[in-house]
Amino acid sequence: MAENIEQGGHGGDQGHGGHGGHGAEHGHGDHGHHINYKKIYLVLLVLLVISVAGPFLGIFWVTLLTAFGIAIVKATLVVQNFMHLKIERQIAKWVLAASLLLLFLFFAGVAPDVMKHDGAGWENLAAKAVVDAGIDSGEEHGEEGEEHDEEAEPEPEPVVAFAPDQAYSQICSTCHGAGGRGDGAGAAALDPKPADFTLAEFWETRTDADLVKVIREGGASVGKSAQMAPWGALYDEEQAQQIVDYIRNTFVQGG
Amino acid sequence: MSYPPIATQRRSTGIPTGRLAVWWVLASEVVIFGGLLASYLMFRIGHPEWADAAVHTNTWIGAFNTFVLLTSSFTAVLGHQAAERGEGKLAARYLIYTILGAATFVGVKSYEWWYEISHGYTITTNNFWSFYYTAAGLHAAHVIAGAVIMGYIARDAAKNVNLHRVELIGIYWHFVDVVWIFLFPLLYIAK
Ligand code: HEC
Repeated sequence: MAENIEQGGHGGDQGHGGHGGHGAEHGHGDHGHHINYKKIYLVLLVLLVISVAGPFLGIFWVTLLTAFGIAIVKATLVVQNFMHLKIERQIAKWVLAASLLLLFLFFAGVAPDVMKHDGAGWENLAAKAVVDAGIDSGEEHGEEGEEHDEEAEPEPEPVVAFAPDQAYSQICSTCHGAGGRGDGAGAAALDPKPADFTLAEFWETRTDADLVKVIREGGASVGKSAQMAPWGALYDEEQAQQIVDYIRNTFVQGG
Repeated sequence: MSYPPIATQRRSTGIPTGRLAVWWVLASEVVIFGGLLASYLMFRIGHPEWADAAVHTNTWIGAFNTFVLLTSSFTAVLGHQAAERGEGKLAARYLIYTILGAATFVGVKSYEWWYEISHGYTITTNNFWSFYYTAAGLHAAHVIAGAVIMGYIARDAAKNVNLHRVELIGIYWHFVDVVWIFLFPLLYIAK
């Protein structure tokens, strides 16, 4: 039977280790070693307690050290002793090392774009706006059941109320231009250029629903340029509609 | 119908084929979970406002589940020790303990998610919660899969069949533990 043969094959795994004659453990040359599993387990529990207690001191670097430093220590203990990597054949270590290397390549390649929001010649307006909005409004609450949440104290309304004209001049005008002609400073680098909001024709060929969708979900959502980012994290549907109304009332000529 | 396997041990690697296969699985898991956690880390650093969402995760529940997983790793390795000595029944019993640990973990996690979802924190609430549910969900799927496989292996082990598999599922299980060891500070402690 295949199963038994498989087992037999394993029994023949006497290739390395070389810890013969260690009393209780036998018949398995591969792992004839003595690891005190109980001790490792107890150390892991102590480390867990420290990592939970650390943040109570409220000192930033202590939290960092107890949280992530200890996580690394715990993981190493488990990998070396429970997974037996420390006595495993070299090839297994190489296999793991290769995938860790790929992981670091990924991190190094992506991190600069995600962690920074501007650099030489570029600025991630969408990310900055989201950070600002998040910090201004304090907390993001869940939609329902807030009143049952002991932790969430009643938050004052955000100090800066939403105003469509401010939204436009702070964010949109960079590309769409202060006059709505699609000639903002940021538009020079854009292809295709933003449409001219002043033309009656613009408004005749689009519904409000289209425009609200573009503002909240981005140009790509309707097959237009992805340079028009999605702003749904900043404006809900009603606010996007207010912006559309503002743009129409402010810029449109002869319409 | 049975035919001998082509090789149960690779000459050149010196590792039983099954165990080498587990290492390959884990190597790909490193990239899957690692990629997810690395992305989370980048966003946390780039977006200080995520901290406002992170305060709502329950550190005590996270800590308790860490305790549960560490303990289940301990019973898994004791099962391996028993299997090495050829004590299949004992190994099976330790695997059952490990499965109970997995069940506790999933039970606690379900309560936690139920509580959070009923308070309006869902996978679409914001990017923090998206990461939270994706990472913890993928991890929980691994816990469940591991527990199911462990059930099959325990059944065999009790009859002293395929005892070497006790070690293989153990290695996988410890990896799932290690992933949680990193998820815990990332999602629960870094506030
Ligand atoms: C980074 C530059 C940029 C910023 C900032 C920007 N847009 Fe745009 N927007 C564009 C571009 C480019 C297009 C044209 C897309 C196309 O035609 O393919 C566009 C298209 C649009 C359209 C759709 C026009 C059409 O052709 O149907 C609307 C509406 C719009 N933007 C509104 C806004 C609003 C409101 C804001 C501010 C919240 C904003 N945009 C911020 C670049 C920008």
